[in-house]
Amino acid sequence: MRMTTFAQVNETVCHEVLRNGLNVYLVPKQGFSKTYAVFTTRYGSIDSHFRTNSGETIRVPDGIAHFLEHKMFEKKDRDVMHEFSKYGASCNAFTSFNRTAYLFSCTDNLDKNLNLLLDYVQEPYFTDASVEKEKGIIGQEITMYDDNPDWKVYMNLLQALYQEYPIRIEIAGTVESISHITKEYLYQCYETFYHPANMLLLVVGSFDPADVMNLIRRNQEGKAFPPAPKIERFFPEEPPAPAQKRVEAHLAVGLPKVLIGFKERENGLKGKDLLKRDLTTKLLLDIVLGNSSALYEKLYESGLITETFDYDYSCETDYGYSIFGGDTPDPDALVEAVTRELEAVRNAGIDPEAFERAKRKKIGQFLRALNSVEFIANQFTQYKFNGNDLFDVVPVLESIAREEVEQRMKEHFQLEQMAVSIVRSAAGQESGKS
Amino acid sequence: MSVQPAGISFQSTAINGIDVHILPTAKFKTTTIVTMVEQPLAEETVTPTSLLAMVMKRATARFPETKKLREHLDFLYGAIFDVDVLKKGERQILQIYMEVPNEKYLSKDTPLFEEAIRFVGDMLTRPCVENGSFLPKYVDQEKESLRKRIESLIDDKMKYANQRVTEEMCKGEPYSLLVYGRLADLPALDGGRLYRHFQKITAESPIHMFVVGDVDVQHVQEAISSLVPLPRRERVQPPVLDVVKPVEQVRQVIERLDVTQAKLNIGCRTQIGYRDDDYPALLVYNGIFGGFPHSKLFVNVREKASLAYYAVSRLESHKGILMIMSGIDVRNYEKAVNIIKEQMEAMRQGSISEEELSQTKATLTNQFRELQDSARMMIDFTYNGLVSGRQRKLDEMLTAIEAVTREDIARVAEKIQMDTIYLLRDRKGEA
Repeated sequence: MRMTTFAQVNETVCHEVLRNGLNVYLVPKQGFSKTYAVFTTRYGSIDSHFRTNSGETIRVPDGIAHFLEHKMFEKKDRDVMHEFSKYGASCNAFTSFNRTAYLFSCTDNLDKNLNLLLDYVQEPYFTDASVEKEKGIIGQEITMYDDNPDWKVYMNLLQALYQEYPIRIEIAGTVESISHITKEYLYQCYETFYHPANMLLLVVGSFDPADVMNLIRRNQEGKAFPPAPKIERFFPEEPPAPAQKRVEAHLAVGLPKVLIGFKERENGLKGKDLLKRDLTTKLLLDIVLGNSSALYEKLYESGLITETFDYDYSCETDYGYSIFGGDTPDPDALVEAVTRELEAVRNAGIDPEAFERAKRKKIGQFLRALNSVEFIANQFTQYKFNGNDLFDVVPVLESIAREEVEQRMKEHFQLEQMAVSIVRSAAGQESGKS
Repeated sequence: MSVQPAGISFQSTAINGIDVHILPTAKFKTTTIVTMVEQPLAEETVTPTSLLAMVMKRATARFPETKKLREHLDFLYGAIFDVDVLKKGERQILQIYMEVPNEKYLSKDTPLFEEAIRFVGDMLTRPCVENGSFLPKYVDQEKESLRKRIESLIDDKMKYANQRVTEEMCKGEPYSLLVYGRLADLPALDGGRLYRHFQKITAESPIHMFVVGDVDVQHVQEAISSLVPLPRRERVQPPVLDVVKPVEQVRQVIERLDVTQAKLNIGCRTQIGYRDDDYPALLVYNGIFGGFPHSKLFVNVREKASLAYYAVSRLESHKGILMIMSGIDVRNYEKAVNIIKEQMEAMRQGSISEEELSQTKATLTNQFRELQDSARMMIDFTYNGLVSGRQRKLDEMLTAIEAVTREDIARVAEKIQMDTIYLLRDRKGEA
């Protein structure tokens, strides 16, 4: 077990790679009552085209990673959620574009809960009947999202930004696509992506690291695994340009919603370079769009944006995009104003004081986030999968120069990389009571 | 692997007419300062208070321009600052939230804690006012923002259905009010009226200020004493929260909207509030019935019948309401209602397994213990005790939950009645 201390943020990380290839990280937190564990596989909704262990290339139905996540909770003779309840833990799971995570938090019985987590995720049990039953439940989850205007405007934007890359596909799939899911498909996906060597276990909270590492080692050494398969995923070539400049949909809303996105033209960064791009772009967005920016003030005072206005940036090795927007009485006027103002900001450059403030703000927000074991658990894994350390954020932030943000601004805000997504009520379909 | 003793121990004193509660702890990297101004939830004041929260955060005497005010917050290492309103039973709480990093994690030496208290003091005692009025510019813009906020309630169908069933169920009771207020009140509000309201509530309403972080108690007290000099009059205590309301008959309400999934919300009266002796038993009742993934609603509506993705129940502890919520295909409406009624009946008949009881106590205990890892949740737990007029210590709550018997749950089950069954559905099919 190797220990690394990050003095500036007063955090310690213990790491070990087990014999079966599983990466285990422990982050002990003094004085906390709860412990939070996340068991994550590098497998998400975008991994739908790959080579199986027997060597054949297959394309599986959209939404299967999420479906598989649901089905992991059901076992032959027991229900996993009930087991966690018995030990007082609260458990959950989620699927994103590129990972599936199984987690729990508890304030007691850590050993039992940890064994349970490792065991249920490593013990698939799928039957035809239970697969069919799940289609009803997930069908309702999908229709719930269909009615959610914030989700709709976001997914539509990704579909406008990306022509081919599978982040344009709904994580849960559609009612139609999940109808094709069978237990055979589930086993194929499981066997390809759930080998310990493709997974990471992270435990954050109040515990003795040596005890916990022993427990995990014992658990894993008691199980036999085949040699780690070499995972081969296939992704379509993504052209640089967005698929559509503008997309509009109708749902019952109080005010129209608009999101504007900029798609990265150049990708392929890894490790520290990727982290630096991520943080530099986030600083840029804070400076240009944050609620203390001139742009925000102008848009808010003209009534074109509301307190819902927000922005975010995501980047991975294969893709990256910024997204911003919110509720507006007039989507077209907002898009026009933003486009005009961004051009002005590009020409004016970054104000040194605004740059310093944005840096301070980011550092403060990061420290604040470290109060939350949930934040640490979820972010840590994502950073690791990209070859980075979550606790390196502060030094990397401090190393960023204003010129780099200016450079990023020129690269990132290119009008030909922009797309717009709008959701508004259909005419004559305002709310009505009966 | 042992469990630490449970405790949340604020040190309380009165300073400048404010009840100050301080909890020194080294486990957080930030200091959290939360101020709660308590008022009855009432038609005359609900909209002014909600608008006031939005206008207050635009400016202070020291920072009359919003942009400068926000730049200052960014300069304080991205201090988190917000003023908002929350509903706790028939109370409307104006909450001022402030959180700054602890200086010891920063390379530059900035006195962040004093600056944070000064900023909160600015909000409460040094607002941006001209001729006895908040600036019309900000008031007008925030009236518009509040209008949009109220109109956008419909965007989130779960929240919308929850508000609508509350309005139907609690017609004529203050609890039916949306915490953000009413559109119809907006035109008559201006900066002068708002400022008089501000003066009245900061002088008379109960005000509690909580500080959690790696702080020195005396230092905090001195800072509040000098930086938050509130001109207080005699405190006007809102009436005791009443939760008793017998149900005469179950009502059914169907509303149509452009939706795919139907939302089924069933409001129930429990006749039990936070300060009642039966409250811990009500928590256990709710846990077995619909609070967790092992609960009867989840197991029977979702796992067995495959009708829904979510099927839960939640308590409004200060109003004595238990709210059942589920998202279903409208064709399964009757089926879902029947299953829910069967599960309530099972609760009444005491058909509860030993496992359900022990799972629920274990998960509730875990929930309460977890509070200790969040400054915000420790504050909320303590404040619930203050608002309700019955303070329970954390270990007291845990002991009470552990002691709940089947007889206690049966007694609670006898009191719970369905009041209103509300369905938000699509526009298709028969009317």
